[in-house]
This record gives sequence, C-alpha cells and structure tokens, in this order.
Amino acid sequence: MTAVARSGGWPFHGWTTMLSICVADRLAHRGDFALGTLMRFLPIVTQIFLWTAVFSAAGSTSIAGYSRNDFVAYYLLTMVARSFSSMPGLASGIARSVRDGSVKKYLVQPVDYVGFLLAARVAHKLVYFAVAAAPFALVFFLCRSFFPWPPEPPVVAAYLASLVMSFLLGFLLEATLGMLGFWFLEVSSLIFVYMLAQFLLSGHMFPIDMLDGIAVGSAGWSLSLGDIVRLLPFQYTAYFPCAIWLGKLRGADLAVGLAMEAAWVVAAAVACRFAFLRGTRRYSGYGG
Amino acid sequence: MIRVAGLTKHYRVFDKREGIGGSLRGLFRRQARTVEALRGVSLEVDPGEFVAVLGPNGAGKTTFLKLLSGIITPTSGTASVLGHVPWQRHDDFRRRFALVMGQRNQLWWDLPAAESFRLHEVIYRVDPARFARTRDELVELLGVAKLIHQPVRELSLGERMKLELVAALLHEPEVLFLDEPTIGLDVVAQHAIHSFLRQVQQERGTTVLLTTHYMKDVAALCRRVVVITHGRILYDGTLAEIVDRFTTHKVVTLDFETPPSDAAVAAWGFPCERRGPQVRLRIDRDRIAGALSEILAGESVIDVTVEDVPLEDVIAGLFRSAGDDGEPTAALQEAVR
Amino acid sequence: MMRYLRIFATFFQASLVRDMTFRLNFLLEATTSLGWMAMNLAFYLLVFSYTPEIGRDSGWTKEPFFVFVGTGLVINAIVQAFFMPSVEEFAEMVRTGGLDTALVKPVDAQFLLSLHRFKFSALANGLVGVVLIGWAVGRLETPPPPVAWLLYPLLVGCGVAILYAFITALAAATILMGRNQSLYDFWFYITNFSRYPAEIYAGPWGGPLRMICTFVIPILLVVNVPAHTLALPLSGGDRRLILVTLAAAAAAVGLSRLAFQAAIAKYRSASS
Repeated sequence: MTAVARSGGWPFHGWTTMLSICVADRLAHRGDFALGTLMRFLPIVTQIFLWTAVFSAAGSTSIAGYSRNDFVAYYLLTMVARSFSSMPGLASGIARSVRDGSVKKYLVQPVDYVGFLLAARVAHKLVYFAVAAAPFALVFFLCRSFFPWPPEPPVVAAYLASLVMSFLLGFLLEATLGMLGFWFLEVSSLIFVYMLAQFLLSGHMFPIDMLDGIAVGSAGWSLSLGDIVRLLPFQYTAYFPCAIWLGKLRGADLAVGLAMEAAWVVAAAVACRFAFLRGTRRYSGYGG
Repeated sequence: MIRVAGLTKHYRVFDKREGIGGSLRGLFRRQARTVEALRGVSLEVDPGEFVAVLGPNGAGKTTFLKLLSGIITPTSGTASVLGHVPWQRHDDFRRRFALVMGQRNQLWWDLPAAESFRLHEVIYRVDPARFARTRDELVELLGVAKLIHQPVRELSLGERMKLELVAALLHEPEVLFLDEPTIGLDVVAQHAIHSFLRQVQQERGTTVLLTTHYMKDVAALCRRVVVITHGRILYDGTLAEIVDRFTTHKVVTLDFETPPSDAAVAAWGFPCERRGPQVRLRIDRDRIAGALSEILAGESVIDVTVEDVPLEDVIAGLFRSAGDDGEPTAALQEAVR
Repeated sequence: MMRYLRIFATFFQASLVRDMTFRLNFLLEATTSLGWMAMNLAFYLLVFSYTPEIGRDSGWTKEPFFVFVGTGLVINAIVQAFFMPSVEEFAEMVRTGGLDTALVKPVDAQFLLSLHRFKFSALANGLVGVVLIGWAVGRLETPPPPVAWLLYPLLVGCGVAILYAFITALAAATILMGRNQSLYDFWFYITNFSRYPAEIYAGPWGGPLRMICTFVIPILLVVNVPAHTLALPLSGGDRRLILVTLAAAAAAVGLSRLAFQAAIAKYRSASS
C-alpha cells in the first residue's frame, strides 16, 4: 500500500479523465449547485448595509484609509479572492475518508491522493467559475464606480499571480489539516479552529488595515496588531489580493508580499507531503 | 393479513451524461426516463405464513417491501396490511409491524444496543414488564447478551444484524418484513439467524415476508416462495413445485462396465458430462422410463442414479428466462400456466 | 403527548450520556464556539472604536447593541443545541436510508427527525449571551420596564420557533432534492441577515429588503424584536411588530410542517 502511495507522481495521462469524473460528480446534484452560487452573495449585502450604517454615525468619511465605497469594493474583492482560496469540505472530507476507511481505495489505486484531491478541486473551481462568472460579472459591472479603473498592467499581473497562489495556499493548508485525520479521530474541532482563525485574520471579516491603529508591545517597538497579522499566511487567502487591486501595496512592498506568499505556498506543500507520507505509514485502517 | 392487488411503482430517473460537456448540458436540460420498478404485483398472505420473495438484484423486491411498510407510495394498485393502507402511515399500523433491512441499521450508532431497546420500548408503548421479558428471551435466543452494552459501532456486521432482529421483535409485531437480512454475513451468522427466525415464527405465529436472492435463506425457512423478476411475479407456490413446474427433465447418472459410444449416448438424451465409464445426461421426464429400460437392456450398467435438476439451477434459469425486456418467454409462460 | 415527552426525555438522556462519554470533544466544541463568539465580540468592539452608533439615530449604541448580540447568542444556542444536530445528520440520513427507518416507526416523523440528537456544548454560547445581556442591560440609559421582562422570554421563544420553522423547511427540501451538502451553508446565509439590527437595512434598496425579511421571510424578527423590546423604548410601530412576531412564529411553524408532510408524502427512498 505504502509503495503505491509513494510511487504515485502526477498522473498526467489520467488527469483529464479524473477531471471530467470530478466535474460530472459535482454536477450530479445541480439543485445544490445552483442554489449555492446564489447564496454566496448574501453576506456581502449585509456587510454593505452594515458599513453604511457604521459610517452614517461615524462622523468621518474614512475609516482606516477606506471610504464607504472602498469597503464595498473591498468586500466584493474578498469574494473573488475567497472563491479562489476557499476549499469547502476538503479538510473534513479527508478526515472522514480516513475515519471511515474509504481512503484505502485511493491508497490502493495507482493514483497520487493529494494530486487527485487537487484535480478534484480544480474541477470544482472550473465548474464554479463557469456558472458563477455571469453573476459575478453582473455585480461587478453594477458596482464599477467603486473600483479604481483602468488598472495598471503590473497591478493586474500581481493580482492574478496572488490569486493563483492563494488557491494553492488555501488548498495545501486545508489538505494538511485534513491529513491530521491520520492521527486524530475527531479532527472537526481542529478544522473549526482553523476556520475561526482564517475568518478573523484573513481579512475576510474586515480589512486588516483596521488593526493598524492598535499598538502592540512596549515603547521603542512600533509594531501594530496589523503588522503581526500580516506575518501569518491567512492574509493571502482574502486580504492580500484585494489590497493589491485597491492600490494599498506598491513597488517594493508588493514584490516582497508576493515573494512571501510564494514562500508560504512552498512551505505548505512540504508540510502536506510530509503529513501524507507519515500519515499513511501510521494508518491502521480504522473503520469499514 | 396482507392483500396486494396490481401494485405498480414507476420512478422518473434523470440520466447523467458522460463527460464535462454532458454534465454542463445536464445542468440546463435533463433527459428523463421511467424505471418500472414494480409492474402490477398481486399477492395474498395469510396470518402466520412465512413467505420468501426471491429475485435477482433490481427485481423490485425491496421496492415491494418499502411499499408494504409505507415508506413509499405506489403509482397505482392497492395494498392492505393488517387492515391498513400502508402508505397512510397510521400509528396503529406502524405499531403492529417491524421492518429490518440488511446492511442498514436503525440502532443508534454510538450507543449500546440496550439504549436503543429502551427507546424502542417508549416509542412502541410496550408494557415495561412484558418488554423486559421479551427482550431477555430474544437476547438469550440469539446469544447476544454480552453485546447489548457495547456501542453498536464496535460490533461486527453479524452481531449488529442479530441486535437489529432483537430490536425489531421487541414490540411483538404481528408482521415482520425482512429485506435481505443475511446479506454480507458469514455462514455461522446466517445459520444462527435462520434458526432464530424459524423458532420465533413458530412460537409467535408472526407473519413473515422475507426478500432475498440467496437460495439458502429460502430453503432453510419457508415452504412458500414468490419469485419476482423485472417487477413482476413469475411464480407463487411451494419450493418443491418449482422443480416440477419448471423443469422438463431429470438428471440421470450411469456407471457402465464398458463405456458406450458417443452416438449411443446422444440417442438417449443430452449428455452433460463423461468421465470414463461414468456418464451424466439429461433425459426428458416422459421419456425416462423408456430410455432407462432401453439402456439397461442393451448395456451392462453397474449403477444408476436419477435426480432432479438442482434448485439453484432452476431458479437461475427462471431469472434468466424472464428475458431482457421483462416479459416472460413463451416457453416460461407455458410452464406457469 | 406524554409519550412524546418520554421519548424526548430518552433522547435527552441518550445525548447527554453520549456527550459526556466524548468529554474531550464536548470541551473542544464548547471552547471553539466560545472562541468564535469572542472573535465576533472583538470585531464589534473594533467597529465601535470608529463609531458611536450603528445606524444614525437607530438607538443601537454600544449597550443596546450588546443586548442584541446577547439575545442572538441565546436564541442561536437553543437552536444549535436542540435542533441543528438532528438536522445536520439529516442529509446523510436520507442518503443512507435512515429516513426509511423513521417512517416505519409509530411516531411523528418530524418529531423524530428534528429532535433525536442534542449537542449540549452549544449551550456554552447561550450562557455567555445571558451574561452579556445582564452586563449590557445594567448599563442602559433607561432600564427596561417590568412588562419588557415578561415579553422577552416569549419573544425569544418566537425567535426560536421561527428558526425551527426554517430548519424544518430546509429538511423538507433535503428530502426532495437529495443530498444537500450545502444545508448548513444555506442556514448560515439565511441567519446571516439577522446578525445585525434590522435598522441597518435602510435606503432605496434596504427598505424593501427589510420589509421582505420582516413580513415574508421573517428572519429579521427573530433577534430584533426581543432585543428591541428589552433594550430600547417601544413605539406604537414596535408594539405592532410584537404582535406580528407572535403571528409569524405560529404561521411559520404551521407552514413548515405542511411542507415537511408534503415532502415525506412524495418521498422516493434511495434505491436498495
């Protein structure tokens, strides 16, 4: 079993087949799918109303460097970033397949488990974008006055690069988390902690700039809470691409940011592979 | 007790298409077809009978049981179980029967079976003293006393199945529906369940309807067999009669002193097997007497055995002979009439 | 009736035993939900560092707002502890034929399916909610009159009933639509609207949205009305809204039950 798992590289010849199977499986329950796409817009609506209400009594037209319109633009952009980096059910799915033993069928087949999962996620995202592109485009068109336009080519390039890396980072972090299922029977609480941290610290809930006003540490050590949060990988799953597009990061800052994101992707890939190899060796085949 | 007339169940199924293109197209326009799971089944079961419903996978056996237990509603036709229409799901009705489905459990997964039994007691409003007595009897009979305090998920399939059966009988139902109860079980467990069911049914006079595709279940438990294929009843009668009705020949095994020629053998009947001086062949029933006297007169025979075609083969033949479109072949219709 | 109470008690005890058996899990769940709530509270404090009121002249300054938040915590804790666990399993149950098992029992299927498993760790948030309400009410400009204290539990009950009706409707949808993995997501999206006071939905788009979410899909009545009753002075319109809430709770429960009955009447059952 382990030999097969270890020998599995990237199954190029089987990739398109796996892709189409994953897509077909995803679309098998279309009621689910159509509804889910629509539902994702709803929290943004609440956020927009909330910030409008906040500004109405705030006595200032700018909060942490964002105007009310900037907040709208920001939340719409986080939706794009999150559509790349969110991996619903990935970690819990892995943990569950370990728990009930169905992961065995992947270990026995000449296929790389992580590669298979990645293909499945790519398939899911492709299908999602195919169906969601229209509503997204419509919403962005309606809200176009909130966004800086036209964007400079380097900004666009940096933005796209950050999105792709954000997808990979989101995938690898959650996959590694799911691999903990080889060690712990109930990983769901750990996953929840991860989700918690990500929701708060990724910029999904509010722009990280709002934390810049909070000083941390003693005098002579001018760090803000925002600086500390930016050290974590979570910001790349929501905040970072948005900040690029909104022009909050320029020049050297931008380059360093992208490099850091890439470094995190590599680190997560290593962690994932390591967890998988150690995990499969430990695997006792519980359940089934 | 159980009266079924013309029970029919059709499903509309949406076809999944192949490949990405097909799936995307499927999002906007789906192709539907109708699956006829059950086509006009009629049946009558008297109280205390033990009936096996035999059929290959996909024959409609489970659909039939689900209709009789009120889980689904039919497309057309009527049924009456214990005087109730099952799919109206009256509480009075539901309290008087039990359903056990193989490989599916109704016991609480994380808790010991004893807890599930307690719940059963409350749900079915069983008198506590009676409940305790029944439970102890059943547990004793199946030998699972040590298991009822272990969480169900730690038990093997066979052990779980036994506990399922105990749970099902705790409220002393008048009718018991069993859907493939021995599927996936080892021989020992199957045997234990067979003797348990036999005993319980005899002692309590429960009417039992058991679906299965295993001959073993049928042979061990019941005289009356209903064969269902492709949603229709092909045969309803005793096991013994099946062989008589559906076979036109018998298997004769002859041991010769000097092996006869192939041509000679072919003249007597259809050869199945030749092993040196031993020949096995099939001979039409009407011709057996004549053929045998011919052979015995002309050859030197050491030993003769005349047997029926094995039951398994008959049943398998029945399943096959239903034909691809679900219509019985002409020959079969002849035989059934 | 007695029988249903006894069945409920049996389920209650069984769930309690189960939760206590998996003590570590129980503590982890309670801790993580408390963590989630703490983060939201931090967010609210962050927002209030930039503004004194959510919605100009809405009345939702810091203390009333925290009464709102506390009320939300209590209502959601009740729903998460007593109804959600059963329904979360529901999609899986339908898929593996557990619904068949329920339909065969001489007990109302809706009762069985929505009340068979409880998760007591969810009550942790509710306790914090109570503390939060206590703290915030103590600091209100005008303390609530006695009648408000009488109405409050009733209106909290209405909020729970309305959410229960939503859960039942979603369960009915699961039966008809097959595997509905996004049931929990759906729930999140619906209740997300009621995370903040209804008054934030103002303006040309917000006004109608508020109307719809108050009178058609009464999600904005759930937390708003009890919190408003306790924390803020009541106008004539607010009093009418209380009556609307009572009516809406009854109607919602009734309609969702009809939907559920219709769903199980059309139930197809997974193939064997």
